[in-house]
Amino acid sequence: MKLIFDWLDDRSGYRNLLHEVLYEKVPGGARWRYVWGSCLTFAFFTQVVTGTLLWMFYSPSTQTAWESVYYLQYQVWGGWFLRGVHHYMAQAMIVLLVLHLMQVVIDGAYRAPRELNFWFGAMMMGVTLALSLTGYLLPWDQKGYWATAVATNLMAEVPWIGTAIQKIVVGGVEYGHHTLTRFFALHAGVLPAMLVGLVFVHIYLFRKHGIHVKEPRPKKDSYFWPDQILKDAIACLAVLFAVVALTVYFNGAPLGPPADPANEFPARPEWYFLFLFQLLKYVPAFWGAVIIPAFLVLWIFLQPFIGASRPGHQLNIGFWWTLIAGSVALTLLAFSEDRSNLRHAAALKEADWQAKRVLSIVQEEGIPPAGAVSLLRKDRENRGRNLFAAQCASCHRYNGHDGRGYPVDDTQSAPELAGFASVEWITKLLDHEHYISDEYFGGTDFKNGTMARKVLFKYTSEEKELLPRIAVLLSDMAKLPYQDSLPEKEREELLALFYNDDLVFQDGLACIDCHDIDSEEEGYAPDLTGYGSDEWTVAFIKNPEDERFYGEENDRMPCYGRDSKLTDEEIQILSDWIRASPAN
Amino acid sequence: MSTDEEHSKDRRKFIRVATIGASAVCGLFPLVSGIPAVFDPVKKGAGKKSSVPWSRVAPLASLPEDGSPAKFEVIQEKVVDAWTTYKDIPVGAVYLTRTNNEVVAFNLKCPHLGCAIDYRKQTKDYFCPCHNSSFALDGSVTTENSPSPRPMDTMETKVEKGQVWIRFEHFRPNVADKIPLS
Repeated sequence: MKLIFDWLDDRSGYRNLLHEVLYEKVPGGARWRYVWGSCLTFAFFTQVVTGTLLWMFYSPSTQTAWESVYYLQYQVWGGWFLRGVHHYMAQAMIVLLVLHLMQVVIDGAYRAPRELNFWFGAMMMGVTLALSLTGYLLPWDQKGYWATAVATNLMAEVPWIGTAIQKIVVGGVEYGHHTLTRFFALHAGVLPAMLVGLVFVHIYLFRKHGIHVKEPRPKKDSYFWPDQILKDAIACLAVLFAVVALTVYFNGAPLGPPADPANEFPARPEWYFLFLFQLLKYVPAFWGAVIIPAFLVLWIFLQPFIGASRPGHQLNIGFWWTLIAGSVALTLLAFSEDRSNLRHAAALKEADWQAKRVLSIVQEEGIPPAGAVSLLRKDRENRGRNLFAAQCASCHRYNGHDGRGYPVDDTQSAPELAGFASVEWITKLLDHEHYISDEYFGGTDFKNGTMARKVLFKYTSEEKELLPRIAVLLSDMAKLPYQDSLPEKEREELLALFYNDDLVFQDGLACIDCHDIDSEEEGYAPDLTGYGSDEWTVAFIKNPEDERFYGEENDRMPCYGRDSKLTDEEIQILSDWIRASPAN
Repeated sequence: MSTDEEHSKDRRKFIRVATIGASAVCGLFPLVSGIPAVFDPVKKGAGKKSSVPWSRVAPLASLPEDGSPAKFEVIQEKVVDAWTTYKDIPVGAVYLTRTNNEVVAFNLKCPHLGCAIDYRKQTKDYFCPCHNSSFALDGSVTTENSPSPRPMDTMETKVEKGQVWIRFEHFRPNVADKIPLS
């Protein structure tokens, strides 16, 4: 073995090189405050290795980016772990960057003769942030798509060349294949290559000037190997442990629903850019994109000169602490505003629903060449809730919301439709108090109609006890997928109840006097034959003004089919969706 | 050697071992974190023999009755390529020959190294233009020093309602036995 190493050393001189690398003097002995640079190098090394491995799975196009990431996350052995490590190490890198920067600032390591290295460090910080930004888009999920769109729109704020820069980065005007190929080339090629080059210069300059010793020196001088390396390695292990813990805890990196320009999502950047996001609520985009970054660049350039004097150094420390405190405050503000925003919470819940939905469809059908987004767009359940939100929710509600979970600003003026035609739903409908409440017809003319005033209001307590049985009869006709059918005998009994005089009032009115079931005649009130069934619901949505339903008594319910507001297919989807599940 | 010196020596040794150990963990971790994913294709292929689906190739009537071969694409109903699921796409090609109602199917790929085999009408044989393997109409190797270690690969066929169906497969190249790829 020794012979081989001797031969290798003779030909390469590696022992000298190793000696040079390892036996760097550490004046004042090894210290924990020096570990951040090594931690960052370790983090970057991890990103390069895991990134290269991720490269084996990633396919940058609008039909395959999300899909290949999905495949890695859910189909590849340990894919979730590899992706998780890359994702959380990227976040750890940002934290380490701030720690390293603050250590350099507080220790005054940015001052002469280390100005140049400070500037190189700042450049590396910029490249690292650019890596985060470009990586955020690559999974091509809703979150990355909408957030990165904001970031690239900011580029256009740069005077004269802004729109050109934006087009170059995006690969055109619209987000598409070229955006992904370019972002991928930047993320996996251009930016890492720049960072590798900068790391070499940074380390070279660092070795040239040696460690900047923070006085007083705690111990006698020692060497990089093994004392400082041990401390560095322990710190790196701690970073590694944190990253693995986050990866395991969160089951790897998140993957939202596939990007869809027609499907809104509240754009939020990764947490470390949230302060900028929040800032843009108060200052014009031009400030966020140009003036503030330009000021920062200028400050970083001048910082070594400002810090030459003791007060100047204090000013620099104060500047960075203020910047960090401001960023933390803005970040907290962004979080708290989002937390108190009901619409934002609903949007996140909706995205979560879509992400789970698309996974379940993919597991059943696989992903077609058109990509996973086409599955969601075609999915009848997803379309149903979107149609309800767009067409019905301004008057109706579904579990109190718009069908997707969003709160509705307009006042409810038509019945709640979650669990429509179920036994519970009809039982409540036949209760006078519920009937005239906003949950049913309180917002319509029917509040003062015959049914409310002359029928439900006048029931005796004995008659009221019969109503749940009528509800069972009516609900059975709906043939809802989640309810069992009535035995024929029971149905016959209930029909007899509907037809006979048990529910007659002082003025002689019975159900059958206005409503029909299984009869050729058209009664005064809606025909209840097949009430709530697919056929009944579709026909009702198509034309509630039909004689079979409300006729001229219709109060504001649009005739979606008759007036071509919706296609037959859309009405069918809506009916299927409304009838699909019980109320929550 | 005094106890102090020994103690100090032990301490140095411990630091050295601990440093090498911790550095090795950090250095290897990124690669190790991706090893399962990289070896996923090997794991997926191991130990399971999935049944080969039947694919409809052509109407029996479209095959020459004189027993000369005709080339057809094999369209598979469902093909899963990593994350994409394709429907009704070509997965390869075959030569079909017919004797009465019996159909023999040969994979277009040469058993040597997978080049596409030609049918030569004039000499009535199959010929691989890459490394000059040649095969008789029954698929057998015709030359003594043929690069191909085995005859052309046949696959299971059936005729149903006038349509030819086959179980299309690929086989490991350049070995004497016909071993399906999995």
